[in-house]
Order: sequence, then structure tokens, then C-alpha cells
Amino acid sequence: MIKEINDKLIKESVFGKKLQNGLEVFFLPKKDYVKQYAIFATKYGSNDLSFKLDTEDSYTKVPVGIAHFLEHKLFEEPEGNVFDRFAELGANVNAYTNFNITAYYFTSTSYFYENLATLIRFVQSPYFTDENVEKEKGIIGQEIMMYQDNPEWRVFFNLLKGMYHNHPVKNDIAGTIESVNSTTKEDLYNCYNTFYHPSNMALFIAGDLDKEEVFKKVEEGFAELNYEKPHVITRQYTEEPTDIREGYIEERMLVSTPLFQIGYKDNRVGMDGIELATKEIAINILIDMIFGKSSDLYEGLYEKGLIDQSFGFDYVCERDYGHIIIGGESRSPMEVKGIIDGNISRIKKEGLDKETFERIKRKQIGENLSYYNSIEYIGNSFIGYYFKNINFLEYIKLLTEIRLETVEEYANSILDENRQVISIINP
Amino acid sequence: MLKLQSEKISEGINIHTIKTDKFKTSLINFYLQRPLNTEEVTYNSLTSMVLQRGTENYKTSKEISKKLEYLYGSQLYGNVRKKGERQILEFSLRTADTSYIEDKNMQREAIRLLNNLVNKPLIEEDGFRAAYVQQEKVNLSNKIKGRLNDKMQYSLERLVEEMCVKEGYRLHEYGREEDLSGISPQNLYNHYRRVMKESPIDIVVVGNHAHNNIKNQILENIGFNTIIPIIPQDIQLAEAPATPKKVVNEMEINQAKLSMGYRVDLPYSDPLYPAMILYTNILGGGAHSKLFLKVREEKSLCYYIFAKLEKFKSLLMISCGIEADKYDITTEVIGQQLEEMRRGSITDEEMRNAKRAIENSVRAMGDNAGALAEFYYSQIIGKPFYEIEELLSKIEGVTTEQLMAVAEKVKLDTIYFLKSRK
Repeated sequence: MIKEINDKLIKESVFGKKLQNGLEVFFLPKKDYVKQYAIFATKYGSNDLSFKLDTEDSYTKVPVGIAHFLEHKLFEEPEGNVFDRFAELGANVNAYTNFNITAYYFTSTSYFYENLATLIRFVQSPYFTDENVEKEKGIIGQEIMMYQDNPEWRVFFNLLKGMYHNHPVKNDIAGTIESVNSTTKEDLYNCYNTFYHPSNMALFIAGDLDKEEVFKKVEEGFAELNYEKPHVITRQYTEEPTDIREGYIEERMLVSTPLFQIGYKDNRVGMDGIELATKEIAINILIDMIFGKSSDLYEGLYEKGLIDQSFGFDYVCERDYGHIIIGGESRSPMEVKGIIDGNISRIKKEGLDKETFERIKRKQIGENLSYYNSIEYIGNSFIGYYFKNINFLEYIKLLTEIRLETVEEYANSILDENRQVISIINP
Repeated sequence: MLKLQSEKISEGINIHTIKTDKFKTSLINFYLQRPLNTEEVTYNSLTSMVLQRGTENYKTSKEISKKLEYLYGSQLYGNVRKKGERQILEFSLRTADTSYIEDKNMQREAIRLLNNLVNKPLIEEDGFRAAYVQQEKVNLSNKIKGRLNDKMQYSLERLVEEMCVKEGYRLHEYGREEDLSGISPQNLYNHYRRVMKESPIDIVVVGNHAHNNIKNQILENIGFNTIIPIIPQDIQLAEAPATPKKVVNEMEINQAKLSMGYRVDLPYSDPLYPAMILYTNILGGGAHSKLFLKVREEKSLCYYIFAKLEKFKSLLMISCGIEADKYDITTEVIGQQLEEMRRGSITDEEMRNAKRAIENSVRAMGDNAGALAEFYYSQIIGKPFYEIEELLSKIEGVTTEQLMAVAEKVKLDTIYFLKSRK
């Protein structure tokens, strides 16, 4: 049965259906859009390094960076590279791996269903050989080298390494040259067989397409593929203390101005669904109120020449971890930190301003609305939130309902100097 | 089907609208054309930053931000970019479409704010507020120095500097550090007044507005000076040297960056120009291209490689990241791919894939308001004006012979190699 989820405010609907093999399929009609978009994703990312199925006795441990390696290799088929088959039909295919998700997607403006069939088939048919695995190591090696020269990437991963003792989020997504070189064909098949079962995946489609046709074609795409019964996957993480590992991390690189990121490690983790979404919304409003362009803090730092347009902030909200990151370029990151610390203790004493709260809420509602312009953005977000048991279409509604008290509650718990890390790249 | 409606408002000022209800937001882009030269490049760049700091009615960035937040997170920013030997000063306003929110006056208020920013800067002692100019000079200086942080982009920019050493195009749109000390709040403001008087202005609107409604709303709320437009001239194309120039720089990096620059003796006004777009795509326009399949997939020499075409300057640039000791083999393999293009050794599949890839990416612009505005503006100032489907049918019609003809016009000019300091 096809279910409808809709939101009257944004005037969008998503239709969903669960297939026999366990796959959740979603479709967002987008009238007048020239492009179609399909994203086929597995709840499996660089964090999943130790795991087992309910049929297995012991945990399997795999090299760091393997989810990303697997993503590269899935494009290979006995007949050659699957890029070609999308290219023949003018579609643009690509993939990404993050900490929790690996996703394969394409955009097309014609031959949508042919491309969709190719997407389903290639993601569901691994072809790894010793030779093609070996060949990929050079390419991934160059990708890792490219990121090593990227100061923003380095300041970010140094920050994570300061925040986390054991959690795998501290590892580079692509792994290291050594871990990549140690990866084998067998490791790849092992991960594939565990995480690429349809019951651990989701497929999201958007475009000016016919609903019945979409679901029919998806079912046809899976018709010839046989699956074992779905298994429950258990992921193993070493216990992560709530405190940080190191409060100050510095590295030298060829940059013009120092680069910094300040992180606050979240101490209230383990939520999902609406509870998790509410926390994310509250903290996003909180940091926008404190660090946003209309804040006293931003104005003060900017006027002093301590920050510039590169200044930004974000809250990462996952089930088992979370962190606020504030960063940018500055001639004196430690001065920035000092001013932020002073400002936050003042806010904790004085509380948050109601008028600012209402204004920031309006801002975020408008921003959320604008996300619906991009079918890629909706697709990526929808899938990401779906794996956290959150319905992305409900997000704006939750945002309009959020209360200042909730935001204040989080202000007192998350913005703790004891769980704060600063990472700096100095010239 | 999206359609652009253009109208001349007055001498040098034109408004172009694309009416569509497919977006949740509405976009108004203001473009001013300037010549790209040493006299004013830094002035234009700095002006775009200073204007965002305060206006007569909203004296600080904070007040501007508060207003924008209140207007449902509207976005308003100024920017500079370059198109060939022109520098474009751009102001962009994005607002939520009023059918999704309760506040129906929002669009008008947002346009007034844009007018404030552009026409009512904060003036003190016949100049911009001195403190703002001083702060933004420091920020701009940092921005210029910060170009080297992104090694991929930086190596391409260095290639352009080396290749176009005698041409205006060598200048970066941010401008030059050495100009900053000579800029005062007064001479910057005087420059801006001249810009507003002399620059051809194009306003491109994408959103759910009838042409006349939005035109009237803009005319009622935005003041325009009488303009005596001075249209920047397109320059003659330069020739590649007989022996290509080679520049090697060293830096503390892990991955070496190889950038190769070619002159294309073919202006964008030439009927053969669409063939050059196709040429670039077959050579290095994605995962189906010769460069990607040969240099990355077959030889495992790199992770990224691409070719790009600068329309307004007829330059072709190839960029990739490699191990420094793979320089010879990489340049050789790249050279072989260009040679294949010259010999017309292009399979039906390569031809078809590239045509489809262009079709897909050009049509897909229709789903992105910013890309649409940018595409049309580029057509408006770089004629002939092609509608999306018109351009696609020209590309569809390109033959191997035409590709070989344009390949003859592609000449290696400069190789820029950025490698690690051991």
C-alpha cells in the first residue's frame, strides 16, 4: 500500500511503500521540474567498523575507510564501468559516503526509468576482483592526498579527534593510505553482504513523474533479484566517555590566516525520532541566536577584525553522538574563544531573548522552505532523516512549534566549557 | 517551458523576468558591468563588501541581518566575478515566495532593503563610513591572501596569471593587495557613484511574478540614476606562443597540481562555438570523457581531472591532482587525448554521451533559479543570445568534422605545475 505524508504549509507530499524484500521506497512528485532524481542509500557509513548479524556469533572488524572503498568499487561491473551506461542515457551518476550513510544517485532529464533500473541493478550487484580492488588503491590514495592538502578538512578532523576518545567518527571517512592498502576483496564482500540488503536501505525518487508508474517500475527493478531473509545488524562501538580527549589541537599547514574550529561535544545522546529532531531544531535555533549575523557576539568579533565572512556554525545531530561546531578564519583564534566563552557564560546567566528567538524562528522557517527548491537536497535530507526515524516533511511543523524554554534547556546543557575543543591550523 | 521576457527600462537599464511557480523562493539579481582593469578591479571588489556593512536606515550589518531574518530569512549579498575582461558587480536578493507565508508585504520590504543597500549607503564626510572601509580593506586583503588555501582553485588561477600576463584577464576578481593602501572612504565612494552612473545594469528576476507586476514593484522602490552607459569592450583574442611556457612552483603540499592552459582561436560569437562546448565535454566534461577514462580509470594517475572552457576569453583549461613524479606521463597522456580530438578519433559513443551530458546539465538549469539567472545573463551580455533549446539543438547538430575544425584552433599556451617542496 502506498502511504501519503504531506505538509500543507510547504504544499509537498511524499508517497511511501515498503517492498516485500524490506526496502522502503519514497516518491516526491515535483511538478514542472525538468530533472528527475533517484537516490538509493544504505544505512552504512565510515562509522560502521565492527558489526555482526543476528546469525553470527562474533563481531567482524574491518579496516577504516572501507565503506568509502566499497562505494568506489560498486561502480565496477564485469562489462566495465557503470558510468558508461548512465552516460549513454545522459544521466549524471555519483555517490557519497559519510559517517553513517552510503548513497548512490543520479539526475536525469530523460530516460528516467532506464536509469533507475541501472541504478538498482548496479548497487545490487557487486563485482570485486583482486585486480580491480588493487587498481582502485591508487585512485583512493590520490583522493586522500587531496584532502590532506585541504585545511578545512584537516581542522575538522583534528577537532573530532580532540572530542572523541573511541567513537569511530574521529576517523577520516576515506581511511588512511595504510588502511586502504590493507583492504581486500573479502573485506568488501563481507561489508557488502551485511549492509546492502534492501531491508537496510531506502530509495527516494523525485521528479515530474507518475506515482503509479514509479512504484511499478521500482518493483520491476527488484523482481529478478533474490534475497535472503533480512537480518538484524548490531553495530559495536566501544564505550564513549562524555568528556573530551583533548581540549586544544594545533597543526601547521600552508595557509594565509589561521583556521579554527571550536566544538562542543553533546552529552545528551541516544535519542531518535521526534525527540532527536526537536533537539536538533532547538540547538540550531540556539546557535543561530548566539553566533548568527544579528548577534552581539558576531558583531563584536567582526568589528574587532577577529572574524570575517568565513565565520560559520553548525550542529551535527546523530543518534549516538552530536556536536556543535563553530569555525572560520581568524588572526587570533584564542581571542575568539575567549570572547565566545565570556559571552556564553553571560547568556547562561541572563537567559535568551524572546524577540530574537521569534525572529530566528522566522528565518529558519524561510530557509527550510527554500530547501524544497532542490530535489537533490530534499532527497539527501529525507533519506538522512529517515534513517534516524524522522520524517523530513514534518520538520517545518516542529520548527514552528518549538518553544523558547526547550532552547534554553539545551543552552544550559550543551554549551559546557568542559566539553569544548579548539582545533587550529596555523600558517 | 520557461521563457525570458526582456524590457528596456531606460538607457542602459534592462529588466529580464522568468515567470514560474515551481520554486518556493523568488530571486532578483542586479548585475552591473565594469571593465576588468588595474584601475578599478580592487575598487569594485571592495565596494561590494563595504555596501553590505550599513545603509542610511540600517546603519550596521547587524541591523541589516535582523531585517533579513525577520523577512523569513531573506538573503541579500553583494559579490564580484569576472567574465572575460569584464568585472561584474552583482547584488542578489532571495526571498520566500509570498504564497507560502503569511506576511504579504515581505517582497516589497525586501526590495526596499535592496534599494537601501545599493542606493543609500551610509555616507559620512563625503565618503563611506571610514571604519567600515578600514575593516573591509583588512578582510579583502585576507581574502586575497587566502586564495592559496584552496590548492585546486589556486593552481588554476595561477595558470591564468601566467598565461595572460599581459592581458586584463590575469586579474583576479577580488583585486590586488597593492591597491588597498591608496583607497580612501572618499575616493571609493566617488568611484561607486561613477559606477552607478556609467554601468550597464541588467536585472534578472526568477519567480512567481507577472513581468509587469515585478517590474513596477522594482521601479517604484528602487531609484535609478540617469545612466550614460559605457559598455566594456570585448578584446581581441591573443595567440599561443610558438613554444609553450612552463612554470613550476613549489609549495608545502602533498598532492601536486597540474594545470594546462590552451588558447582557442574562436570567439563565442562564432557559429562554431557550440562545437567548442562539445569538444570540451568529450575531452574532459565528466566520467564519460577521454581524460577521465584514460588518465584516471585506465592509468590510475589521479582522482580528479577535468577540462573547462572560459566562454568570454576562449580559454580551455585542464586540471588534475597527481603525484609529482608522474608529471611526464600525465602530460603525455593528456597530450594524446588532444591529439585524438584533432585526428577526429571520436567514437559514436563518446559523441553521443557528451551530447546527452550537455543536454542533461543545460536542461537541469531550469530547476535552479540561480543557475537560470546566470545562464541568461551570460547570454544577454555575450551574444548571440541562445534560448536553452536553441543552444541544445546547435550542439546536437555538431559533426566530427566540426570538432576537428575547432581542434585545430586549440593551442597549448602554458603549463603550470604546483608541486611539493621536498
